[in-house]
Amino acid sequence: MFEDRQDPVERIVSHVRHPVRIDPALDGRVMQEIARGESVRAPGAAVAGWRWLIRPRQFAVSPLGALALAAGLAALMLALPRRGPRSGLPAEAARREFQFVVVAPRAARVALVGDFNDWDATRTPMRPAQRGGSVWTAVLPLSPGRYRYAFLVDGSRWLADPAAPHVHDDEFGAPSSVVTVGGS
Amino acid sequence: MPHGLRSLATAGALAAVFVATAAAQDHPQDPRLGRLDAGARSLVAVVIDSARAAGLPTEPLVQRALEGATKGAPGSLIVSAVQRLAADLGRARAALGAGATPPELEAGAAALRAGAGTPVLAQLRRSRRQTITVPLAVLTDLVASGVPVDSAAAAVLALAAGTRDADLIDFRRAVERDIALGAAPTAATAAAAAGLQSTDATHVNAGARDARPGRP
Repeated sequence: MFEDRQDPVERIVSHVRHPVRIDPALDGRVMQEIARGESVRAPGAAVAGWRWLIRPRQFAVSPLGALALAAGLAALMLALPRRGPRSGLPAEAARREFQFVVVAPRAARVALVGDFNDWDATRTPMRPAQRGGSVWTAVLPLSPGRYRYAFLVDGSRWLADPAAPHVHDDEFGAPSSVVTVGGS
Repeated sequence: MPHGLRSLATAGALAAVFVATAAAQDHPQDPRLGRLDAGARSLVAVVIDSARAAGLPTEPLVQRALEGATKGAPGSLIVSAVQRLAADLGRARAALGAGATPPELEAGAAALRAGAGTPVLAQLRRSRRQTITVPLAVLTDLVASGVPVDSAAAAVLALAAGTRDADLIDFRRAVERDIALGAAPTAATAAAAAGLQSTDATHVNAGARDARPGRP
């Protein structure tokens, strides 16, 4: 019985001492599996790019370099278009054409001037509806808003638009009208 | 001086120069103001700078000055008109809130100048989710047509919440037409408002508009 208990130990020792035979192709198969697993898990270009973007980095910048960078950014901000006169308004697509008409018999030239053209009498000349006629027209695209305007006849005579509301306060002694452009 | 400190000092000096230059270039005097005489130009520029510092839109002020210049008004008149408009813009913003757009402020200033009180502006702001530029303009135009300010305000407040801009402008045209035909301004306003409200209820294709150029 005692000898029977030693036999298994000896057998185990003998078994452990016996060199384990490994298939010579095992290394190759293991490396193949590893390579296959890596190729399956490899992230796409987008994921890799995203990881590259969000990975924190440290930069060393001299004060002069930082100043130059800040100056560049500030210059870019200054170079961007400023908020215009009708800022906050819908874009070009929301502009709507308006036709202005005035009857000015015997006029040689009529100009439409107002908030929409810096009150510049040279910018929006009106045209006679017929050659030599007394009805003058101009079509102008306007963004939503409220504009004061008037007609300047022969460079000296101011006319309000009889078809439009007049301004409540005529501060400059010459009449002006108002056009309101809605957005809805 | 150690090299690091010298670099820092140079950078600081450059930064100071840059900031000063940027500040000067940030709001140079508007070249369009060159159409004003020198005295009026500098005073108008001060008003515009103050308005800008207060966060008010400056373009309406420039346009008012240019209107005066083109119409040949004296410089003192131009300056006072611009000052008055700047004050009205400030009152309009106080009534409409800091989120008011420049066109709303400009229309609000005109409404205040026409006699509408700041409570009317504030009530209009609360009553309408979309922009209130057109309701304010219609209110102003009605007053200019002879409608008492209280009647005009009541009508616009009643219509503003559920009426589109285009219909509000049509409403104003209807009032002006009836006044031109001899109707009393208050009666014309009430009739046009009632007509618009009843039309709104039966509009089937309210979005249809012709594509011809609009008329003021």
